[in-house]
Order: sequence, then structure tokens, then C-alpha cells
Amino acid sequence: MSVKEKLKRVLIEDLNLEDVEPEEITDDMALFGEGLGLDSLDAVELVIIVQKHFGVEIKDMVESRPIFESINTLAAYIEANLS
Amino acid sequence: MICPKPTAITGLGCISGAGLDLAESLENMFSGKRNPQPPTKFTTDHAVASLVLELRDEFKLPLDAQETVYARTCQLALAAAFQALTDAGWDSENLCGKRVGVCIGTTVGCALNCDDFYRAYKGDDIPDIGIMERFLRSNPAAVVARQLKLDGPVQTVVNACSSGTDAIGIGAAWLRAGACDIVIAGGADELLRLTYSGFSSLMITAPEPCKPFDLHRKGLNLGEGAGIVILENESLAGTKQKKGYLRGYGSACDAYHLTAPHPEGKGLKQAIAEALSVAKLRADQIAFVNAHGTGTPDNDKVESRVLDAVFPGIPFASTKGYTGHTLGAAGGIEAVFTIACLNRGEIPASIGFSTPDPELPATPVKVNTPINGSAALSESLAFGGNNAVVIFAKGDT
Amino acid sequence: MRMAIQGIGITGGFGSGVETLRTALQTGVVTTREIDGFPAYHANIDGLDEFVPKRSLRRIDHLSKMTLLSACQALQDADSLDGDRSRMGVVIATGYGTLQTSFKFLDSYLDYGYACSSPTHFSNSVHNAAAAHVSMQMQATAPSLTVSQFEMSVPSALLSAQQWLAEGRVDQVLFGAVDEFCEVLRYCRENFFGAAEQGPLQPFAFSEQSAVAGEGAVFFVLTRADEDATYGCIDKIMLGNHLACSVKLPQDDLLIIGADGHKECGSLYEQLLNDREVAAYAPLYGSFPAAVGFDLAAAAVSLRDRTIYASPESAGAADTAVLSPRKLDRQGLACLKFGGGGDYGLIRLSR
Repeated sequence: MSVKEKLKRVLIEDLNLEDVEPEEITDDMALFGEGLGLDSLDAVELVIIVQKHFGVEIKDMVESRPIFESINTLAAYIEANLS
Repeated sequence: MICPKPTAITGLGCISGAGLDLAESLENMFSGKRNPQPPTKFTTDHAVASLVLELRDEFKLPLDAQETVYARTCQLALAAAFQALTDAGWDSENLCGKRVGVCIGTTVGCALNCDDFYRAYKGDDIPDIGIMERFLRSNPAAVVARQLKLDGPVQTVVNACSSGTDAIGIGAAWLRAGACDIVIAGGADELLRLTYSGFSSLMITAPEPCKPFDLHRKGLNLGEGAGIVILENESLAGTKQKKGYLRGYGSACDAYHLTAPHPEGKGLKQAIAEALSVAKLRADQIAFVNAHGTGTPDNDKVESRVLDAVFPGIPFASTKGYTGHTLGAAGGIEAVFTIACLNRGEIPASIGFSTPDPELPATPVKVNTPINGSAALSESLAFGGNNAVVIFAKGDT
Repeated sequence: MRMAIQGIGITGGFGSGVETLRTALQTGVVTTREIDGFPAYHANIDGLDEFVPKRSLRRIDHLSKMTLLSACQALQDADSLDGDRSRMGVVIATGYGTLQTSFKFLDSYLDYGYACSSPTHFSNSVHNAAAAHVSMQMQATAPSLTVSQFEMSVPSALLSAQQWLAEGRVDQVLFGAVDEFCEVLRYCRENFFGAAEQGPLQPFAFSEQSAVAGEGAVFFVLTRADEDATYGCIDKIMLGNHLACSVKLPQDDLLIIGADGHKECGSLYEQLLNDREVAAYAPLYGSFPAAVGFDLAAAAVSLRDRTIYASPESAGAADTAVLSPRKLDRQGLACLKFGGGGDYGLIRLSR
């Protein structure tokens, strides 16, 4: 499974997005605000999700804002930091 | 809405990382002393430790019973209550036969502190049921009432970080309603690995001493402690020296988000408006504000905006640099500090603040600052969007 | 100051909604669900998505869902689901607070390390999370209060609700009581009470241990009594410690006692009965701190129906226990609950 596919699945499961199918989350869809509609609490939960499922750490929320834009940006960060 | 007479406050007590009593706390604050450190009472596997403000080792539990009998939060509440009662000239003997209420705010005090129990329960070991028995014995307000053998209303407020402030407002309402003649009111909370992990997970804790309202603020330092005031009916208090008066209390809910404050501080403004209205005071009659000022990016931004809009030019400080964020205890501790500073005519520097943030229109005092005036305000913002505000008047000289 | 009860919402082991409570009071029959040989009164949250869109519920736990369901039912019952709620206070009493979410938070770090602690579970484990969800869903921006002190949570919180209304801080209070069941709770109860946890719950068998765990949520819409009351009025709330100063029971009120099979408090109820008319309804919903709110709901329904319903379980009952339904004319009712160490809460109601 690619990082993007796994990311979509764990997002749905761990953020309890019950009514969303992985196919509905497009790679460039905005994760926050309009788009998937996540908020600041989901953002910190995402940090844990990425740590737990990929072993990749995100240290600073403010500096890391661009990482959280879409599946594309998040997957790129994860892939770049996979040990 | 009813605008009641001010409520007499006859005793003050507080314990925190700033000091084991009010005198020590004031001395440390006005000397600019603080000592946040990584936690010593527990360990975690976080890569970087957040700093906390634990009580000095010299703190003695008020009961012979150790923390295995009553949770630490209850012990802290009792210790501060004893200080405040002594300050007010009360003890368990002369309280006998009086109607005395106890209203304590807490967060951790009602949390299930049972890591070891649950770890054993999940694994193959037999959990120590004593841990659960201790939990069931350890409701903070109930413990204070029972230890002092009191008869009267009892309430443990769990409004997250505004609990201590709310408890004082609620306690005063009991006096007005004739439910009792004395109220032991305030807040208490201990430091737990559970809460430390929770706040770390929200990424709002700082690995360095916190910097409320500063451009480079990175988050809060957790703390522990208790702050208690004794509220009394004037007829009972008689000619006893009043340490201060509670003039107004206001509270409101943002109804916005579970953890983030309303960006315009809607609930906070509403709470302030209610408190001022009840106190029959204008904003410009407030001599200073003890801010919530946790040192988190969100809280300080919202609070600064509100302070600039509602109290332009009025000095304010956060004392959380000295005490850490003591959660449910904060409102109680900060009430005591507000009254003490009002009587002293001076507020301490808002420690941790040096560089203004261009996004924050109001900045706290950088040095110890004399204040003029006879009324001051303390405000608390909480998870769940709770906002609570109390206004105090100076004591008798 | 009297508080008028304008609407009730409720979910518990007997089902959901005030009509279902009435049926349970009338028939006295409720089934518990058994897990591993131990019964418990489980509440469901069916019908919640009629009030709250499913998407909004994704981060909301069982405790808060029961809370939201009952709160919405109460507003619906009071015919005030719509409207401005800037003057509606929210007060919630919970004996234990969040249990399931607290353990889920512990799971997150015990299983994966502290660096993987879940911020969502932590935020939802704070005891005022349920009140926050109610405020957010209802856009209730007036004062909000959550109280947690085991069996005394309801009378204590009710006192604050009364004072808010009396002082004009709010015009309505959405007052609720909620507690949930969880497996760890069952483990502890089994440890404390052994086979006695298997019931049946016999409130009048005062020297026996027969409590059976329950869960649920109940909400009331309360106003000042200058409006007509749909159900009846709460007249007075008294709190104290019976061992420090004996509770003074009102002469003529019929007592609804919160005896729920816990031996520790049994003798305190027994001492006070003395030829008083008394009813006990815990066998309909089980033993949990927020059940004091359920007793209050039973009292409110009785006042509205002008009928005092039979206590569903009669073992050990004195001659003066209400064991068959009878008319309730001008008599007032009082709900009495004892907690640990002799603490008591007394809530008086009348039409």
C-alpha cells in the first residue's frame, strides 16, 4: 500500500470519519477548512497518527503548517522522513 | 439581574510552585524568582521534557494520612484551606455548629489517576484495588468538608481551567441565598503524568520557562497547588478585619470549540461585562487585571485583544510564569494574589515577557508596577469555552 | 425561589424518552443486559442523529452522546428546540465524569508510548466536555457549570441552577445528570461487592448489598416558577451531612428515596423511615450517581400525572412503602439521597 493510501485509511479510522471512503479523499483536497473540514484538534491528532503509523515526528505546529495542506504534502513529508 | 452587596473575604491561603504560602509567594514574585524544571515526580518517554513547577520538597501533607489514603489534590485543598481559615480566625472547633459551605474547583482532582491500576488490569497482573478505593474517597470539596466536620452545601466544580474562579463566584451566591454563613472557596490541582501527557499531546507545553504574551512564547508550564478564600456573611464577620471583598462575578461560554478559545474572545467579553455590571463598576475603575496568560499562542492572542478592547491602558500581568498553569487551582491562587496585590498597591512583573508580539495589541507589565485604585479583576479561560471573571475590592486597612 | 420543570429528556436502562419512563413507572418492568454473567442497565443513544448530524458526532463519546440525546429530548419536550439560547445556562452533574474516554486516553499511551497520547481523547476526558458539546450544538453562550462529586453531584448542581435563575443570570437552565458504565467499573464493583452485583436490585432490603450498575442521562428544562410548570416545581434543595447535623425531613412530603441496593447507606434510609410513605425506583434504572436525576424525573412525572407510582421491587419494604399506584393530590414530594460518609441531598417538589 502506498503512503498516500495508508494515510487516507488511517485518517478515516483514527479521526472517525465514518461516512468518508478513501476514494473520496483526493490527493490535493484541502485537509483543513473547506475540503475535508478538519480543525485544530484534528491537527494535533494528526501529529500522533503520523508518529504512530509511520514513526515520523512533527515537532513544531507553526513551522509545519504547510505539511498539513493536503494528502500530497503530508505524504511527501512522511516519505522524506521515513527512517 | 441582581447586583448584590460585596461579599466579605476574611482569609486567604495559597500554595504553589511560587511558594508554600502567600507571604513566600509574594516575596518570590516581587523578586522575579521562578524555577521551572522537568518533572521529578514522574517520568515519561517524551523526547523533550516540558517544564513544570512542582511544590518544593518541604511541603508537608496536612493530614497524617499519606497520599495513598487521600489523593494529593485533596491534601493541597486542605492545606490551603487551613491557611485561609487560620488567617480568618477559624478552626474546626469554633466552626462547629455553623453552616459552612465548601466549593472547590478542580480538574485533576476528579480525574481517574490510575495508570498503574489500568496497566495491571490490561496485562496479567492483579490491579491494586486500593487505587480505586482512594479515588472514591478523594473528592476534593467532600474531603475538606468531612475533615473539618462541616454541615452545609458542598460542591466540586469541574469547569476545567476556570473552575477555581467559578467556585468563588458560586460560593458567594450560596451566602446570598442564605444556604450557609461561611464558604471555603477556591481551587486545587496536583501535577499528574496523565495531565502532563495530555497537555503535551496538544502541543501547548513549553520545554523552556513559559513566556506569557511574549513574541517567542512556546506554550505553558504546568504547575500544582491550591488557592482558597474564606467568604463570610458580614453579620458573622462583624468587625473582623476583611482581607478584601468580592464585588462581582461573571461567566459565559464561547460555544465555539472544545480546546481553542473564540478568536474574538466573545465569551470572555461577556463574562467581563457581567462581572462589571454586577460590581457596578466601569472598566476604567479597574486598577489592574490578573490575566489568565498561560503562554500559549492562542490564549495570549485572544486575551490580549480583549484586554486592549475592554481595558485599554490598564496594567495587567500573568502570574503563571511563577506558578505554572495550575488548572483548576489557578482561579483560586490568582484570586488570592489579586487581593494581596490590591492591598499592597503593586503588581509583580509579568515574568517571561520581554519582546512584544505585533499581533498582540496589549502587553503586560515588564517590571513590578505600583497600582492605584481599589478594585481589580482576575480572569480565567478554560477548555470547553468556559470563561470566568471575578472582581475584588481592597480590604480594610 | 421555585423552579418550574418545563421539559424532560431521558435515556437509561429502561429505554429512551419521558414516555418510556412513564411506561416503566407504570409497569415496573425493565430488562437488564448481561455481560459475563453480570447484569447492568445499559442506555442507548438511538435517535440522536435526528437532532445532531452524524458528521458532528464523530469525536463525541458515549457519555456526551447520551448527554446530547437527553438534552435535545428535554428541549423538544419543552417545545423549545428552536430559539435564542443566549440566556439558557447549562448545568451538568456527573458522579464519575468520563470513564470510557479516560481509559481510551490511557490506552493511547500505555499501548504506544507517551509521545502517542491522543489529544482528542484527552480533551474529551476533561469532565466539562459534555457541557461543552451541549453549548456548541445549542449555541448556548450563557454560564455553564459541571459538577462532579459522586452521589451528591445532582443536588449540589441543582442548587447552583436555582441560584442562577433567582439572580437573573439566565432565564432558563438546561439541567442534566449523566453517568456511564464501563468494563473497569464493572471489574471494581465485582471486586467490592462480589456476587451481590448480580442483583436483583432491592432498595428496601437495607441491610443487604444488592446494587446493580446502571448508566444514563436525564435533562430538564428549568425556568423561574413565574411561568406555568408543565411537570411541577422544585421548591427547595438542601445539602448537608447527616452525621454532623441530622437531616430535617419535611413533615408531609412523600419520600422518594435514592436507596439503590448499597448497604453502606441502607441503614441511614431505614432510620428515617418511621411510618413515612416512601417509594424507591432504582430497580428501573440501576445504581449510579446521576440516578438522583432519574428519581427527580420520576417525581416530576408523578406530579404531572397526579399519581404516585408503585415501587417496582418490594422485598423488605415496610407497610408504608408505596407498592401500588395511588392518586397524588396536594401532597408534595421529596427526593432524598445519601452519599458516602453521611452526606445527603434533599430535593423538594410540588405542583
